[in-house]
Amino acid sequence: MAPDVTAIERLTDAPVAVQPADVEAEFSRIWQETTGTGAGESSIRLRVLNFIGIGLTDDARDRFGHVMEALPERHPCRGIMAMTAPGHDAVIASISAHCWRSGSGNRHVCSEEVLLQAAPGQERPLASAVLALLVPELPVAAWLIGDLDFDHAIATEIIGAAERVFIDSTGSPDARAILRSAAHAVAGHDIEVCDLAWCRLGAWRGLVAQFFDGDDGPRQLASLQSIEIVSGGNELGSESLLLAGWLVSCLGLSIADVSRSAGRIEATLYDGSNGVRLAISASGGAIAPLERVSLKTKDAAFLVELHHDSGHMHVREEWPDARVRRTVAPSPTDEALLFAEALDDADDPGVFLGAMNSALSLLGDDDVRESPAQPS
Amino acid sequence: MTTSTAPATQNPLRAGLRLPRTPDACAVVVFGATGDLTARKLMPALYNLARSRMMPTGFSIVGFARRDWSDEQFRTIMKEAVTKYSREPIDGELWDSFARRLHYVSSNFDDIEGYKRLGDRLNKQDTAHGASGNRLFYLATPPTAYADIARHLGEAGLSRGGDAGGWARLVVEKPFGRDLESARELDRNIGLVFRERQIFRIDHYLGKETVQNIMVFRFSNGIFEPIWNRRYVDNVQVSVAETVGVEGRGAYYEESGALRDMVQNHLMQVLALIAMEPTASFRGDAVRDEKAKVFLAIKPIRDIERDTLRAQYASGAILGERVPGYRQEDGVSPTSITETYAALRLEIENWRWAGVPFYLRVGKRLPKRATEVAITFKMAPLQLFRQIGADNATPNLLVLRIQPDEGISLRFGAKVPGTRSDVRPVNMDFRYGTSFGVDAPEAYERLLLDAMLGDSTLFTRWDGVEAAWELLNPVLDAWSNGASPLQTYEAGSWGPKRADALIEGDGREWHRM
Repeated sequence: MAPDVTAIERLTDAPVAVQPADVEAEFSRIWQETTGTGAGESSIRLRVLNFIGIGLTDDARDRFGHVMEALPERHPCRGIMAMTAPGHDAVIASISAHCWRSGSGNRHVCSEEVLLQAAPGQERPLASAVLALLVPELPVAAWLIGDLDFDHAIATEIIGAAERVFIDSTGSPDARAILRSAAHAVAGHDIEVCDLAWCRLGAWRGLVAQFFDGDDGPRQLASLQSIEIVSGGNELGSESLLLAGWLVSCLGLSIADVSRSAGRIEATLYDGSNGVRLAISASGGAIAPLERVSLKTKDAAFLVELHHDSGHMHVREEWPDARVRRTVAPSPTDEALLFAEALDDADDPGVFLGAMNSALSLLGDDDVRESPAQPS
Repeated sequence: MTTSTAPATQNPLRAGLRLPRTPDACAVVVFGATGDLTARKLMPALYNLARSRMMPTGFSIVGFARRDWSDEQFRTIMKEAVTKYSREPIDGELWDSFARRLHYVSSNFDDIEGYKRLGDRLNKQDTAHGASGNRLFYLATPPTAYADIARHLGEAGLSRGGDAGGWARLVVEKPFGRDLESARELDRNIGLVFRERQIFRIDHYLGKETVQNIMVFRFSNGIFEPIWNRRYVDNVQVSVAETVGVEGRGAYYEESGALRDMVQNHLMQVLALIAMEPTASFRGDAVRDEKAKVFLAIKPIRDIERDTLRAQYASGAILGERVPGYRQEDGVSPTSITETYAALRLEIENWRWAGVPFYLRVGKRLPKRATEVAITFKMAPLQLFRQIGADNATPNLLVLRIQPDEGISLRFGAKVPGTRSDVRPVNMDFRYGTSFGVDAPEAYERLLLDAMLGDSTLFTRWDGVEAAWELLNPVLDAWSNGASPLQTYEAGSWGPKRADALIEGDGREWHRM
């Protein structure tokens, strides 16, 4: 069943400039030309998703282009990048089509990409052009690239049409601001927000959860004594905060005795009278957003850390009767693969919301709920 | 570490994660570890499960076979196998971590001392790898060894988990018996040592994504289930066509034949998934209960001449290449009467399907390789466009393509553009390969994971196996007494002429694959 995917080929030598109103007709023309050539080959124009990138910089456009190089292999889509750029009086468009070879036959599968640009101040016409180009009846995922705020003029109308809105708080110089913005967007706009930083935690969450999977899991959870999370860099990154927030909210712990200093948060988490020591710290290293997680219970210990050289995850468990260790593959780091997995999996948005709110509580944000959200 | 057979308690940290839980720490013991199945399927599947974090932290794998190998030899040879057959490329560091859990015990299957050594080894590994006394025994051996292995496992005290307690499960490959009597005997022998809930009879078809999708297609789409019955369905055809011959397995195939090799297990399981009632849940035995009801509702085949057909391929050509006849294959008797093609007409006597024929056919050396379920719907009650000269209406046809080119297509009539109202059949086509670029896990990955989790939904239960044999045993008996004489067909053709007669007698025709 796995398709034999070869490198993406472009149907168009270079993006073709067109008037926004002519995008559909131009795609049809390219399509007709394609299907009229290639003896012995058949082509399929396939779209199961509208994928919108919204950004303000060339870097944002390049990131979107990189994702579109690989995402359509798993999620054939119409990709629309909307960005503001000086020098354009009106909205301008350029289009391109990507194909890959797939399936048991010599079949080309093709997705399409539209780049829409307009000068600052032209955000409303730009958003309107995006909405007009959405393929009807298909889900819409929007990605706010960079530190773009939910309330930015270019974003508000577009995210209103989206079922899921992606942000990426990884590497943000102000994780608190971006998480807070996302929390307010969820509360104010009733949209499903997914943070790529959260997606990067998939393997970490799975491994930590596995430690408590057995019949003995509830007893181990009840005797949890300490949690230590170490992130890279000099500041606490959003991954480490979200992971801590996830443990706090999923385990129904309340936060007390918080002390915050540069690159470090310490707190005591309470489940009834049982106190759990929490320490989140930045290692100063430049290896990865998240480097190590360790948990200790009354009679067992768990450690998972990212190996510097290989990028694999080393897992160690210590039980009274056994010590076991193993090496496993991490979650993907490439943005295109992260999107592919995130769009495959219907993660419970309530879990992310709970993690986000608890992370903000750890940061001392009083505007969000102190009590953890329950998974829906 | 878990040490009981009770289902794991809900873990709050699992909310939102892909797997509701990972398996208990356990040891996987593969009998027949030097064989082809282990190299091609089992070890790559176990490696990929470990790689993708789906194996428990505490696990070990023990190969058990006659050859005098050391742990290191076993690891080296398994590395070669995984390198060759894994769907994911092998990674040095991940392999090294995985290989530390690989061990080997050399013994004949009938040597009780070997099982005692195995027990000692497993108990030591429980400490070294934290396997907690849980054992999954996988019989990747010739079927003749199944009963002996089960008996010796019992004698060595290995059918109840390790010193630390824990569970023991037995995974049995097909064929489960070669007729009703031998299947019952095998079940009796295994049942002396293992209880039904410990036995996982594997049918790798049930691990295929497209076979699992039959249930998803039926029960997660509101538009199909209301028409999935005798009021709307005219007939159902389950077809398995292979271009290959016996591929060096002539001696095995001589003892088996198409009916035993494919129909008794794979085709009957697919039929059950097509015909079963919706389940209220996927818990416990819900799916297997519904499948069992289908088997019980299948009308016994009384008219062997009319409702069954067997045939054997003669020499011919496949894709332009000359190929020998079955009787010229290595290991095959020149006077063999083993069938390489079988077709059956079945009826399911229940409210949903009464009067709808189910046609099953399987054959080797057919023109193309394809496994499909074709559901032909009844014609519209009034052929309206016939009144104005359009006389080419065809019934709607839903085809579930299981392999290759996996997908689903729906045929319906559409107006030919023009001033007339001509109707032409057209297809709406869905293909997995283009809509889901993701690498599907191998069937064995899913099935091994489920066996470790103790989820037997995708495994066959004894009542299903027995019912299939009860249905087909009279056919085998009648054939061995000369009923429905063996036909021949040219390799590269779609089977014998009489196969057409079997279905055309009902005013229908085989779906062209």
